[in-house]
Amino acid sequence: MVLAKGEVSEVKGLMLRGGRSVGGRYVADWRTFRPVVDASKCRKCWLCVMYCPEGAIGRGEEGAVIDLRFCKGCGICANECPAGAIEMVREE
Amino acid sequence: MTEFDVMPGNKAVAYGVKLSRVEVVPIYPITPQTTIVEYIGEFIANGELEAEYIQAEGEHSAMGMAIGASLAGARAFTASSSQGVAYMHECIAQAPGYRTPIVMAVANRTLGWYWALGPDYSDIMPELNLGWIVLMAESNQECLDTVIQLYRVAEDPRVLLPAMMSLDGFYLSYSYEKVLIPDQEVVDEFLPPYVAKYPVDPTISDKWPAPGLPPALHTTYRRLFEEVLGDAKRVIKEVDEEFREIFGRGYGGLLEEYKCEGAEAVLVTMGSMTTAARRAVDRLRREGKRIGLVKLRALRPFPKEEFRRIAEEVNVIGVVDRMVLHGTGGGGVFADLKSALYSLEERPKLLNFVAGMGGDDISVEDFMAMGRKVHRVLETGRVEREVEFVEHPLPPSRGPVPMEKMPIYPSSGGCAGCGASIALRNILDVLGLNTVVINPPSCATVNYSAQVSVPWVLANYAAGPAYETGVFRAYRIKGKTGRIAVIGFSGDGGTVDIGLQALSGAAERGESMIWICYDNEAYMNTGVQRSGSTPLFSRTTSTPVGKLWRGKGQRRKNMVLIMAAHRIPYIATASIAYLPDLRRKVKRAAEITAAGRGLAYIHIQQPCPTGWYFPVDKTVEVARLAVETGAWPLLEIEEGRLRINFKPRKLKPIGEYLRLQGRFRHLTEEEIAEIQRVVEEDWRSWLELEKMGKLPWY
Ligand SMILES: Cc1ncc(C[n+]2csc(CCOP(=O)(O)OP(=O)(O)O)c2C)c(N)n1
Ligand code: SF4
Ligand code: SF4
Repeated sequence: MVLAKGEVSEVKGLMLRGGRSVGGRYVADWRTFRPVVDASKCRKCWLCVMYCPEGAIGRGEEGAVIDLRFCKGCGICANECPAGAIEMVREE
Repeated sequence: MTEFDVMPGNKAVAYGVKLSRVEVVPIYPITPQTTIVEYIGEFIANGELEAEYIQAEGEHSAMGMAIGASLAGARAFTASSSQGVAYMHECIAQAPGYRTPIVMAVANRTLGWYWALGPDYSDIMPELNLGWIVLMAESNQECLDTVIQLYRVAEDPRVLLPAMMSLDGFYLSYSYEKVLIPDQEVVDEFLPPYVAKYPVDPTISDKWPAPGLPPALHTTYRRLFEEVLGDAKRVIKEVDEEFREIFGRGYGGLLEEYKCEGAEAVLVTMGSMTTAARRAVDRLRREGKRIGLVKLRALRPFPKEEFRRIAEEVNVIGVVDRMVLHGTGGGGVFADLKSALYSLEERPKLLNFVAGMGGDDISVEDFMAMGRKVHRVLETGRVEREVEFVEHPLPPSRGPVPMEKMPIYPSSGGCAGCGASIALRNILDVLGLNTVVINPPSCATVNYSAQVSVPWVLANYAAGPAYETGVFRAYRIKGKTGRIAVIGFSGDGGTVDIGLQALSGAAERGESMIWICYDNEAYMNTGVQRSGSTPLFSRTTSTPVGKLWRGKGQRRKNMVLIMAAHRIPYIATASIAYLPDLRRKVKRAAEITAAGRGLAYIHIQQPCPTGWYFPVDKTVEVARLAVETGAWPLLEIEEGRLRINFKPRKLKPIGEYLRLQGRFRHLTEEEIAEIQRVVEEDWRSWLELEKMGKLPWY
């Protein structure tokens, strides 16, 4: 199983997980489509925040904000947004 | 005419099984063995092999079934790897005594100590000294041929022992090579049907293999087994020789010597590494080094006499081991060889290289370096270091993105659109940082365990609820009940199949912890095999759709009722489409377990685009349709009171849900109607149970 790298500990031969060995995973290069939010349409229901499998969407002042470092471009947010505020556009 | 095809090692094994006309195939998936299961399943589904095919609920059962079938007189085959072999161990130990000539393929993978998928022989190591024959394959052709040879050897009345064939995971299991497929008639002549002499069949025999022996006979029978294994050496050689005469290729019987003429030193290798070692020896020979190669084929019975003969001709032997005997300082084959040569008057010098553990690649250059070291001993006559570990630096990779602490960090290695991720993020968002996750092997292990900041314990597959119980009890004795949320997070396989025994125990004992099954309705991590939770007619890789099969032939287990039979305080189903409902249920489970009231069980349906074959943006849509059609009712049972949480006035037709998914694409209108009938029947039963107020057995 390819697990993320761990941290070597003070105990000889014991590998650790946690601490700084975990964090966000950069996946921007996975995408073929990119979600684009039209803030003027966003009703701030935050459904996309809950449904995004990657935890890549935040609650911004103006509406949903997507951290594209973590987005795989699955399109669930666009599919679920009741206001049609998210559109998937092909990556260049 | 002999056909050929380009195929991976696992398919070559499956062809060996088909050509051997195996009659019973009990099996359980694990990487890198899984596709053996799938190829055999396809042969059977298409009517190319007539055999009983059983996907067991765990490897212990798979080997148990193989023993039962073999005892009853059928030719049986199974296959596994790593954790699976270890889980079989108890049954593996009994097979030789029962004299069941089972053939088992082991696609090697390191045994969990630290988990990895790559091969080494730590998985077969604990099985070596139980009386099985163990042969190693170097190529895909050898895999196919060895399966056939092994049935001849195992079923030979002079032997009558089970036999293992080891093929290196990935290097052989998934790598494509040209393989000749022998003619069935020729194989039939080489390998006649198995006729058990003393089957457990009252219509044939009134005697059967005894389960026990009086202590006074144990030592005697151990000696007899050593004699039988000695005879097995002769049989292995004879069978390989006969095979060579008929099929035009052989493998040297117990071992094969390569460029050993005039050699004063040899390297000993085994399995797929041998191919790179051959190239290194070719080059060293060209450099004028007097070095040869011995490929060890039979790990058991160990070819002691052959090695003694070789030892008389060479001055140095270097053993390349992919197996460490911890506590002895070196490798397993090295220890065997050393003890085999000890009583010789004149012994060659011995060196041991431990290499390739966990699938670390051993390159031609590595073998060149080992060959040179062996040669240096030849020149100097001195061994400076007896055992050397051949190590490589970690290749660079992108590290995690540092972030402010949260229970689970963004993104993962999981598939785009994975519903399990939606479930896990919402669960941890509700429970917060004081949570510990116990997780049996699954997609979640591979993809999400590296994303959390809360402790995440990888449990062995059958023992998730047991590991969790241990954690819970430790907290309890330390007075911490209720301060830390203890959750099991498991796939359906780890819950309804292999984990069910441990879960049932925990439920009945009233362990006050949460068990969450995220149900993608198949074994996804190993490539979509059926589970006890796979719905009727669903296509999976172990319930393929073929001439004879229409996907899974059975309905799924009703886990809610199974858990209710334990009278636990809280049971709920949930869906990733209904997150407020899901989050409320997780919170309720946390309250109940914090109060020490017993086990809380939450079963979440989680559509999986990869295994259900639908577009990745439809995960939530599919989940919603499952609820709206009644395929996945949302309900909860608190202290025996059942409540249906979502009750549409009319269920949508099931076709709306099924048609979105590739796993149901093969369904006929009649089959869809059958599913509709089953769904409605279940729905009515839930309504009736709800009306009862309290379930009768609470
Ligand atoms: C004893 C044992 N047998 C088999 C395996 C291989 N294995 C790892 S994950 C897995 C399937 C997981 O299926 P499930 O529990 O449904 O979780 P999913 O991957 O679908 O999320 C299997 C069979 C193992 N790790 N241990
Ligand atoms: S496209 Fe998928 S991963 Fe990207 S923000 Fe939307 S839901 Fe999240
Ligand atoms: S196979 Fe399915 S369950 Fe596993 S990570 Fe992919 S989408 Fe998720």
